[in-house]
Amino acid sequence: MNIIPQIVANSLIAGSIYALIALGFNLVYGATRFVNMVPGALAAIGGYTVFFLFNRLGLNIYFSVIAGVVVAGFFGYLSDRLVFRKLRSHKASNLVSFVASLGIFTMLQALISILFTSQFQSVLSVTENPKTYQILGATFTWVQGLIFITSIAAFVSLALILKKTSFGKAVRAVSDDEEVSKIIGINTNRLISWIFFIGSCLIGLSGIFIGFDIGINPTMGLFIILEGATASIIGGIGNVYGGFLGAFLLGFVENFGILKIPGEWKPAIAFGLLILFLIFKPEGIMNKKK
Amino acid sequence: MAYLIHLLILFAIYGILGLSLNLVMGYTGLLSVTHGAFFGIGAYATAILMTHAGLNFFVALIVGLVLSGVVSFIIGAILSRLSGDYFVLGTVGLNYLIVTVLINWSDLTRGPLGIAGIHKPHFFGLSFSDTPAFLVLSLIFLALTFLVARFVVNSSFGRALKAIREDQKALQVFGYNIFSYKLAIFTISGALAAIAGALFASYITFINPASFDVMQSVFILAVVVLGGLGSLRGSLLGALLLVIIPELLRFVGFPSEIAAQTRQAIYGLLLVVLMLYRPQGLIGEYKL
Repeated sequence: MNIIPQIVANSLIAGSIYALIALGFNLVYGATRFVNMVPGALAAIGGYTVFFLFNRLGLNIYFSVIAGVVVAGFFGYLSDRLVFRKLRSHKASNLVSFVASLGIFTMLQALISILFTSQFQSVLSVTENPKTYQILGATFTWVQGLIFITSIAAFVSLALILKKTSFGKAVRAVSDDEEVSKIIGINTNRLISWIFFIGSCLIGLSGIFIGFDIGINPTMGLFIILEGATASIIGGIGNVYGGFLGAFLLGFVENFGILKIPGEWKPAIAFGLLILFLIFKPEGIMNKKK
Repeated sequence: MAYLIHLLILFAIYGILGLSLNLVMGYTGLLSVTHGAFFGIGAYATAILMTHAGLNFFVALIVGLVLSGVVSFIIGAILSRLSGDYFVLGTVGLNYLIVTVLINWSDLTRGPLGIAGIHKPHFFGLSFSDTPAFLVLSLIFLALTFLVARFVVNSSFGRALKAIREDQKALQVFGYNIFSYKLAIFTISGALAAIAGALFASYITFINPASFDVMQSVFILAVVVLGGLGSLRGSLLGALLLVIIPELLRFVGFPSEIAAQTRQAIYGLLLVVLMLYRPQGLIGEYKL
């Protein structure tokens, strides 16, 4: 039996989850220019909101997913309103912003463990979604198919919003130069808060999908932020299109990598790739050299 | 009294970690979130050498110190090429990687189960198995670390580090090799953290990979940031406060099952508040 089609399918599924993370991460990074750890915790918040509403309260799954996305977005918005907006007005260095984001990340992760224990939880049990599909010798579940389609849809709609709408133009302006955007009359603070909201929604969705595909635990955020940051840096940090590409590249490298080395070492592959890019091609594959 | 001694031993361990991280963060201006990993390398080296090879604590400590120094030299050689955000991200990833190694290299580390039954130190018939004696030993190591750190920062080498922190470009113009300075201090810092690891392993008598994850690094970072960047006394103050503050919750009746998480939530919040209102820490001389 040929296992290549299955590995390609696994790579695409992993890549589409990383793509959501990278989209959110890059959107926020583009506007604020510092490495933000908060999205990691927001992914966990998304996953746990669905776990609470769907598994504990027994609410409708679609409603739970939408609620999970909005709650993650709201927390992202809140982090900007309460902390990062103040730091911007202080003209804080990006290391200060990073440490603050690390603090929020730590706090949120601890709160999730207090509320839901640090146990691993599965969100959808296998018996609820026994349906699998087969294409070209690769098997995947309907959830995995949904993850792939949603991520492509999210990317296309985000690309359209950035290209066609005046909101998208403003986002691009802020990413290019915050000061100039302010001068030409863009309310940058409000805009950045919106960017936080949208980026965090995408990250929240990735957390929910990880919950569907593997399961959730409170410390999942660190893995998520590292995968997201790696995908973003491979593609070109702050570049939404590059991050999307980088995510799939990362998915393929990881999944083909475990052909040769045991699966537990997957984080090592991502980290190795991250270091290689940081040293040899820090601008990524889609950004121009500075 | 036993409780007080316990807290003081923890203070000594985190004091050593704070002092060593401050050399990199406060004096050289490199934000590093990987100190938990060096702490872990020291702890694991000591634990493995003592339980498997039956080595004396002090021999194991020195081997751990050298090993951690070598690892941080290799890592530093890679990371010193990066700057700013990328350096930070590299350190986070690295800590994650080292924990992955500790979990998966089970032949050596016993994986997630951890290593139990680590002995207390003894030295030519002198035993440190009761806690007051262990406290004395910990404080001696803390004092030694303090002296080493003070010697480093007051030397001409230390002054060059501060200059790198303030204006790296200017120093390059004067012909200093920034890369080797950063590498040297990163190595020294990693080696010193291993001392704390050895003390921790032998005091708690049990270690597992979870004790040395990124959250541990964040805690050590909080010690340095709270006390103050670029102040050695600040790191001692930070360690003291961060060991004591969570203990106060015990007295207001917080359930102990969530003690670890509450502690985490507190230092997370503390980092946010400090960054907003006092980024230089309590008695620090340098802002990130």
